[in-house]
Amino acid sequence: MEIDSKIHEIKDDPYKPAKEWKERTWGKVVGYFCSYAPEEIIYASGALPVRIIGRNKAATLSGAHLQNYCCSLARTSLDMALEGDFDFLDGTVFVHTCDTMQRLSDIWRLNAGAGAHFDVVLPTFLGGKNAYEYLRSELSSFKKSFENEFGKISDDDLRRSIDVYNRNRQLLEELYSLRIDRPEVLSSEKLYMIVTSSSLMEKNEHNKLLESLLSELKASSSSGDSGGGKSVARIFGIGSVMEEWDFLRILKEAGGTFVDDDFCNGRRYFDGLIQQTDDPIEGIARRISERAICPCKHTNTYARADDILERVMDSRAEGVIFFQFKFCEPHAFDYVALKEALDKASIPSMLIEIEQGSVSLEQLRTRIEAFIETIRG
Amino acid sequence: MRVAGVDIGSLTAKAVMLEDGEIIGKSLVMTGHNSRLAGRRALDLALKEAGFPEDAIQNIVATGYGRLSIDFPAEQVTEITCHARGAHKIVPDAHTVIDLGGQDSKAIALDDSGRVVDFVMNDKCAAGTGRFLEVMAHALEIGIENLGEASLQSEEPAPISSVCTVFAESEVISRIAEGVSKVDIAAGIHQAIASRIYAMAARIPLKERFVMTGGVAKNIGVVKALESKFKTSFVVPPEPQHVGALGAAIIAAERASVKS
Repeated sequence: MEIDSKIHEIKDDPYKPAKEWKERTWGKVVGYFCSYAPEEIIYASGALPVRIIGRNKAATLSGAHLQNYCCSLARTSLDMALEGDFDFLDGTVFVHTCDTMQRLSDIWRLNAGAGAHFDVVLPTFLGGKNAYEYLRSELSSFKKSFENEFGKISDDDLRRSIDVYNRNRQLLEELYSLRIDRPEVLSSEKLYMIVTSSSLMEKNEHNKLLESLLSELKASSSSGDSGGGKSVARIFGIGSVMEEWDFLRILKEAGGTFVDDDFCNGRRYFDGLIQQTDDPIEGIARRISERAICPCKHTNTYARADDILERVMDSRAEGVIFFQFKFCEPHAFDYVALKEALDKASIPSMLIEIEQGSVSLEQLRTRIEAFIETIRG
Repeated sequence: MRVAGVDIGSLTAKAVMLEDGEIIGKSLVMTGHNSRLAGRRALDLALKEAGFPEDAIQNIVATGYGRLSIDFPAEQVTEITCHARGAHKIVPDAHTVIDLGGQDSKAIALDDSGRVVDFVMNDKCAAGTGRFLEVMAHALEIGIENLGEASLQSEEPAPISSVCTVFAESEVISRIAEGVSKVDIAAGIHQAIASRIYAMAARIPLKERFVMTGGVAKNIGVVKALESKFKTSFVVPPEPQHVGALGAAIIAAERASVKS
């Protein structure tokens, strides 16, 4: 598979494709942290948006700026910035989601930032007319300040960008549907490398890779690389960024796979298409309001639990694994309600808390295997 | 039918031989640095006690941390499932198992047939485990095997607030410096463990009866502290360290009879 070599590149160095793209095109590269970042606007300017996802290494220099109770995603990303790993960026976009990210924005700007710096302050409540109007005006003002640094963006530029993003989302949606029916065609380790690589490389290129991958998978018979004679244990994953490749390897070795998820480099990244309207910003704002919601945001009290429960059922998952970063408050708060909803529906679940760069793999293996033994009875 | 269960833990490796459901051999050795060797030694010793050769065994299940690094053919099952099955065999109406081993602590909820319904396991931290008690016993200059009995003499347990092995050790040392008696400190340590285990176990459904397994169950002080924290009594099997290996052997027998 052509996509294999590309995605393995990102395992070793997530930013290699972006650096190569920059060298090749002399274009601008803009980093962002959150799946709510309005990438379509960045891409419309001709710049390449890339997602900052931390690294699997114990936190070091960031200790001078962030407390130990901040998540490893924030801490290891700041480490990388302080060590100069992000010097190739021409700007960074911070979307206000959790408190740590909001504070990290200031720390980044004052100590680590390379190039332009933007804050997009999303409403916390994503329902109702006022929130929507505010979101639309916030996106418009982000577009203006972005244009000041990176040049004018026409409505046609935006529409073309939206088309490319919609195509990517459609293709990823198709890949997910295919895997729900035949999870054995692609391991979950590869799946998350593919979704993650979408946020790390040129979107059109990614679309092409996805198109050829999908036609290969559709043509193949059902025996894939998940292996084993036994049917695979179908798991639904919930968390923020799933880039703990060792965890995914162990999950596979234990006979399990994620069939669907609520990760922000999973379904939350590509959920929902943008309607092309007269005002493209309106379409972007609509999608942000209506896509699978992040625990940092809310609409009504039960919306997220109801939505997740429906997706667990639709994906025919046998169990749910919560995969959370230590000290991630939004996910920890939501866990209680989600666990209750799953218990009521008699869906077994397990909570795993990790810190990037400090994972006891064998201990994790025991828990994953025991969980699969439990759901298999 | 002859089957074996081998449980290679972080501190000790255990094996149990079953013939038609009856225990006919068992062993316990230190794991040391080589879990492959430890598993082999445990198996050989148990075979010797049972008095038959390895090829007379129909099926083996390996469990514990070392379950993947073994030099004999076996199926692997996690110690969570094995402890549940072993505890259910010894105490048929067991619904909650607290397993405190060398380096980890687990709370397991069982259904009526001994299957795991839910479980929690400590994270990386070894607080409240056998290793933690060894460090504390060393700081108090009490033999690990006497720590439990000693703590029962306490009339006023010294409060130990931290169960982090490193912090608790310095807290113990400062209590010693304050002139608090060894038995009071030992009792305080056991209470701290009980609080921590209770907080962890509260995440799963807790139902009578309670069984305690693993090496720490041999410490009467921890058992008493847990009983007072959980406000119930715990059944401690005569050989709590062998429960996982027994469960593994039972599963080996089940799977062998499915196959044949």
